[in-house]
Amino acid sequence: MMQKARIVLRKELTDYVRDRRSLSSALLMPIFGPALFAVMFSVIASWNREDAPLVVPVAGAKNAPNLVAFLERHGARVETAPPDYEQKIRDGDLDLAISVPDDYGKDFVGGLPAALQLVIDGSRNKSRAPIRRVEQLLSQYSSQLGSLRLLARGVSPSLAAPLAVSEVDLATPEKTAAQLLNVVPIFLLLACFVGGMHLAIDCTAGERERGSLEPLLVNPVSRPAILAGKWAATVLVAMVALIVTLVAFEVALSRVPLQDLGVKVSLSAPVGARLFALAVPLAVCAGAFELSLALFARTFKEAQTYLSLLVVVPMVPATFLALSPLREGLALMCIPVLSQAMLFGDVLRGESVPLSYIAVSAAGTLLLGVAFFAFAVRLLGNERIVFGRSG
Amino acid sequence: MIEVQGLRKTFGSVVAVEGISFRAENGVVTGLLGPNGAGKTTTLRMLTTLLEPDSGTCRIDGIDVFRDPMASRKRLGVLPDVHGLYPRLTPREHVRYFAELHGIDRRRADERGEELFRLLGLGELADRRVEGFSHGERTKVALARALVHDPGNVLLDEPTNGLDVMSTRAVREIIRALREQGRCILFSSHVMQEVAALCDRVVVIARGRVVADGTPDELRARTGRESLEEAFVQAIGSDAGLSQ
Repeated sequence: MMQKARIVLRKELTDYVRDRRSLSSALLMPIFGPALFAVMFSVIASWNREDAPLVVPVAGAKNAPNLVAFLERHGARVETAPPDYEQKIRDGDLDLAISVPDDYGKDFVGGLPAALQLVIDGSRNKSRAPIRRVEQLLSQYSSQLGSLRLLARGVSPSLAAPLAVSEVDLATPEKTAAQLLNVVPIFLLLACFVGGMHLAIDCTAGERERGSLEPLLVNPVSRPAILAGKWAATVLVAMVALIVTLVAFEVALSRVPLQDLGVKVSLSAPVGARLFALAVPLAVCAGAFELSLALFARTFKEAQTYLSLLVVVPMVPATFLALSPLREGLALMCIPVLSQAMLFGDVLRGESVPLSYIAVSAAGTLLLGVAFFAFAVRLLGNERIVFGRSG
Repeated sequence: MIEVQGLRKTFGSVVAVEGISFRAENGVVTGLLGPNGAGKTTTLRMLTTLLEPDSGTCRIDGIDVFRDPMASRKRLGVLPDVHGLYPRLTPREHVRYFAELHGIDRRRADERGEELFRLLGLGELADRRVEGFSHGERTKVALARALVHDPGNVLLDEPTNGLDVMSTRAVREIIRALREQGRCILFSSHVMQEVAALCDRVVVIARGRVVADGTPDELRARTGRESLEEAFVQAIGSDAGLSQ
């Protein structure tokens, strides 16, 4: 049986590799995720770059010469704001502007809170970092002046500062990085499902539609052997998609200037290998699932429709995990896809994973795969499935 | 040798085959003639073990098809009505694939393939993908694939359907050659000329039953008609569905 399965496997792979369209989609799909990731984070990193000069357009700079001097002393480049600065901020050409009204000086001298405006567009993510820096500078200037005023009146400035809050961030750089890497598990799950999809459809629903299923089944080969060959081919292609995804992420992570975001991430070869090993049982399960679904479908088109809905499957647990973090436990490890999503996250966060979790996750997933395979074998024994239910 | 005894098959409430019995001897071309929808393909599919009959038996070289499907499939070469080739594979790869599934090693498969390609006149096309092949060329590839394991019994479902004159001649010659080799050949057709040109024995099927069985001469004698065509029409009861 193994030998016959190998013959089927070799034929399916030869056939698949020659189909340039499905092959290129199988290889491009896994690259798409990492590429998107690289572009997204390169752009975000460039916004957050700390060493970028802070440009502060000021309208009415002559009303507040001291403030301007303070800003310049702290590294900001103060420019005269163009007359249409509000429009430009709305359009995203400027990140922000400070508007100093004419009676700023009068209030300032009189000891009243001197009003000035920080003009921003709160809907633009890209402006967030410079806005925060200007806000910090302004409050620094304000508290510095306040302290001086109190001192001049013989009052200790510490009286006006009843709280001294300082932030202690407990997140390790790896944890912060894992936040960024949340997208990686989604694409790994996706590779398991989408990688072998084309092949699974082509060698079942496609084979039936071409009329080649009938002559194939007339050979003295058992149906389990034929399906095992097709299963192995589907899983192998999904595994290639997984490897491509992992390598592409490794390349993307080494190219994106993540240090500008204050995190250090890399997908080292051992981590990649561990992720791959965790993903293989899911690829095996997904392959059997796809074969049985494609056999069940009435037509090739119907199989494609069913299976493209599968893209949603990996999204469900990943989204679920993002919205409400679950406490890991052996019970959850029995659930395919969800357990892999959790374990991927653990490995990426650099946390140690109990061996029992890995074993239960793999066993549960493989068991489900075998069940789907048995279902596919039963379907192939059904004459209505073999000859189509439409004709 | 193929023996069919009391074969019956229903699909839901539709009775496709209703108690068909016949024998196809070795070294004889037996034609299964009947209008479209008479139950020819269903009968052949039961012989190939892909459909299970509600009742009745099929024996191939004395082996009960449903008791031992593997052994009977080994003795069977099948050309289905839809040839079912893989567009991205070459004729040589088709032949190799099926040979290996029959447990024939690569070297012997290639030798046998070479022989068949020569016989079928496919030599130059042997390593081209079948994607762009004509209908006749496809039929020849499917035939080579069906014969690679040297089966003693050959089932051909409408083998000359849609072929041009040259291809039809080629296929007929191959069928005669197979008969000379002493094989049992069962072929179905709804084209009377095909059956008249090739068959030593004719089994006429209509509405799922055998309505006549014998040599063409016997058929003519039994129905009392001069031409074979009229004999068929007489046997079937109408000329509906019979191609001229």
